[in-house]
Amino acid sequence: MKDAIIQILMGYLGSLGFNILFNIRGRKLLIASFGGLISWAVFLALESLLPSEAIRYFLSAAAVTVYGEVFARIEKTPTTTFLVPSVIPLIPGSSLYYTMNYALNKQWAAFSQRGFYTLQLALSLAVGIIAVTTLTRLLTLVRKKLRKAEFFSHFH
Amino acid sequence: MQPEQLLTCALDIGEQMLISGAEIGRVEDSIRHICSAYGCGRTDVFTITSSIVVSIEDTDRKFYTQTRRITATHTDLTRLDRLNALSRRICAARPSFDRVQEELQHICSGKTYPRWFEALASALIAGAFAVFFGGSWFDGLVAAPLGFALRYITWLLQRARLNQIFTNVVASFLMCFCAISMTRAGVGHDVNMIIIGNIMLLIPGIALTNSLRDMISGDIMSGMLRFFDAVLVAAAIAAGFILAASMLGGAV
Repeated sequence: MKDAIIQILMGYLGSLGFNILFNIRGRKLLIASFGGLISWAVFLALESLLPSEAIRYFLSAAAVTVYGEVFARIEKTPTTTFLVPSVIPLIPGSSLYYTMNYALNKQWAAFSQRGFYTLQLALSLAVGIIAVTTLTRLLTLVRKKLRKAEFFSHFH
Repeated sequence: MQPEQLLTCALDIGEQMLISGAEIGRVEDSIRHICSAYGCGRTDVFTITSSIVVSIEDTDRKFYTQTRRITATHTDLTRLDRLNALSRRICAARPSFDRVQEELQHICSGKTYPRWFEALASALIAGAFAVFFGGSWFDGLVAAPLGFALRYITWLLQRARLNQIFTNVVASFLMCFCAISMTRAGVGHDVNMIIIGNIMLLIPGIALTNSLRDMISGDIMSGMLRFFDAVLVAAAIAAGFILAASMLGGAV
């Protein structure tokens, strides 16, 4: 438990550092960095339920995209502002490093296996984001249509 | 606004958005909305990560085209936020050419954090991720100054106008060389963790994720460009690491 808390906090700090490099300022800086905390917390919380890392990557990416979409609307800013910083702890940096290490030691079977695994994690991340963005776009569209229908019903 | 002026405005905004880190879809939508707000009959926009082409038709059925070539990107989410707001304001109020150019100028000269502060942020990233991936506090403390130096090295290499691949080979080489020799001298427990923390500063993780997002949402061309860019950068980082490790006697 203590390790998990340290890890989540470090994910938060790492995300905060990147948000400074991305020139996010003021209140948005806090909201964006908190997304990094959420993404890793969700990833760890599901560990006992779902052993597959790829599925947990998908779910935490989806969770954090919901967070990004909601706050993008509150703060009236593009979703990217909160989305990109939030997924930072999920970037498979260590997986990429181990892929490189296998290449260094000429363990080619392990190299390609790890390489594809890294790609798989990145893909889960992307699909998780896309799933939620598409769903939000659909919901906005439906809401607009409903509002229009309501507006015209006054004339009948 | 004259059609040529409208094109200039729309493309300037689109160009800056793309440089600041917007998705392809957002850039194309913004340009299309701006052009149709000023009454263009037909607007064709084609955007990939390195270029934008826009062609519009005015009320006299005459066509106008402009393109922009984008060579470098620099993620700046505050600038993106303000550009997005500007493009909405333009669609709602249809301001004059001079007014738009003035606002654009104002946005592009917006505040950024000073370089030493960015280097401190890099130190924070390297240190935090060294611990995040399982290193000790000591590893984090060793990774942080390396991250600080790495930021300045990358900046110097970029200023010398070296290409992106070579910049990454050299930066990764220097960082790994320092990390490995420092750990051998007793500064740091686990060299893997120190390197991983610093690799987070170099790896194109965001670019890779965005490339997959582009491809899934239908922008195949941009997706493939970004994807191969990311893979090449990753290979460059690996080359720097392998070079440093081999020079210092093989396995880490």
